[in-house]
Amino acid sequence: MLSVNSLTKRLPDGTVLLNAITFTVEKGEFVGILGPSGAGKSLTMRCMVGLTSVSAGSVVFTGEQGRTYTTTTIKGNDLRRARRNIGVIFQGSNLVKRLTVLENVMIGRLGRIHPLRSWLYGFTDREAEEALEALDRVGLASFSGRQTGSLSGGEMQRVAIARAIYQRPLCYLADEPIASLDPKNSRAIMKLLQPLAKDHPIVGSFHQPDMTAEFCTRVLGLRNGTIVYDGPPRLTRAQLAEIYSQDLSLEPEEMPDAMSGPVLGRPVTSTGHWL
Amino acid sequence: MTSAVERSFAVRWRDFSLGRYRRHLRRLMLLAALVALAAWRAEVNMHDLITGLGRGLSMVGLFLPPKWDAFPEMIEPALVTVLIAATATPIGALCSILFGLAAARNIAPAWLRAATRTAIALERGIPEIVILLILVAAFGIGPFSGVVALVIGSIGMLGKLVGDAIEEIDPRTVESVACTGASSAQIIRYAVLPQVLPSLLANSMFRFEVNIRASVLLGAVGAGGIGYELSTAMSQVEYNKAATAALVSFALVLAAERASDHLRSKVLSRGQLA
Repeated sequence: MLSVNSLTKRLPDGTVLLNAITFTVEKGEFVGILGPSGAGKSLTMRCMVGLTSVSAGSVVFTGEQGRTYTTTTIKGNDLRRARRNIGVIFQGSNLVKRLTVLENVMIGRLGRIHPLRSWLYGFTDREAEEALEALDRVGLASFSGRQTGSLSGGEMQRVAIARAIYQRPLCYLADEPIASLDPKNSRAIMKLLQPLAKDHPIVGSFHQPDMTAEFCTRVLGLRNGTIVYDGPPRLTRAQLAEIYSQDLSLEPEEMPDAMSGPVLGRPVTSTGHWL
Repeated sequence: MTSAVERSFAVRWRDFSLGRYRRHLRRLMLLAALVALAAWRAEVNMHDLITGLGRGLSMVGLFLPPKWDAFPEMIEPALVTVLIAATATPIGALCSILFGLAAARNIAPAWLRAATRTAIALERGIPEIVILLILVAAFGIGPFSGVVALVIGSIGMLGKLVGDAIEEIDPRTVESVACTGASSAQIIRYAVLPQVLPSLLANSMFRFEVNIRASVLLGAVGAGGIGYELSTAMSQVEYNKAATAALVSFALVLAAERASDHLRSKVLSRGQLA
């Protein structure tokens, strides 16, 4: 369970990037954050993991026995301990390209391994086996020995998901996980992520309202650093316009239409995108 | 008769003009003036060059033929020279990892980076011969001083290269590993070093070749090896023996250069394939 309380980020010159973002995520939820570019989706994610400092507010993760971890006001070893409970998936997967796929997955649990053991010994065989199981869950078990740089974008994203799974976190954060993938791979990744939400909640930011409509259990609409929508994943055209209305370059007909697609029985366009 | 096509491709004398260089004229004249001034102050003298050339060429005759039966006694000094370089290069490479980390803007705190970069710059400014002479005063004449001098020299070159390489790595990879809860040491081990080790390996091989040449030179100044043989032969006016020593040094440097090029190409190509 994760709760974000009044998360605020202000620049030194006074510009407010995030304006008292507040929401709570319970077990089983797959939350999709929608919003135009620059609305603060990635910034919110970064603040939640402690990559960017916040001006006010807090982010609290609650674990099994009620142990809480907060990522906003702490540093050093405490932050390290908190981070091991969050599985982060990035847009470009951001894996270490020179290492093998298996090593990249095993990096997921570095937060629980003593640094000295990392330097002197590396990973144990048991860790390798469990990492292989995680890879199997995403269908890439045969890739375990390959150099990560030789994989395609979609495959690397699946390795990133395997790493997050292997980490056994309290929840997953996905920062635009399908933004750089083609439609077919995007659907594959969403199909991978959806069942994960049943065990641990996922919060992901997306550009495609039709994807969130189909796979997410809840949608947050972010505009100019403020939450303007928090509710069911199927948005009406008016609700979408409210989120994206700052994007003046879009004609009303061009606004993303989350109602096309399997929801109403109309076929998804060949690009799989909102047109 | 030239066709229209031939006429368009034909190049005529008047197509060549020096006018395109006009905008460089002032700069070139300034450069020429500076060079002339420098040559005058350095007492460059074409007359001396020409007469001295003749004398120099006749000197070369004194070195030939090389004293072939002096070869066997050159083998051990040659080995010493190679071993000095072969010992110093790996030690220098390992130390340069530490120095490189300390010299990288994205790893080291500002004060550490400034201090390390200054130290490296100072080291690069001092010629290795001077470093060796200081070390000889401390440790005495012999290969040990040579090894320490070359380790210091290697750190100067490789430390800077590793530091620059670390500063160029993709920060998103580092962030990604940091988000798993990894400590700084683990981030260095898994996100930073894998990205810089291939280039460090290639640079170390290049440094080995440099160290062979430096080892020959330092040998003449007190480190032993083939350089020492060469300098003693010269000072004892045994020019034929000196020629033999010079040939052996030449062979060493050539072999080191070939080996280094070959290994470097293998390392770099391995990094690009699977």
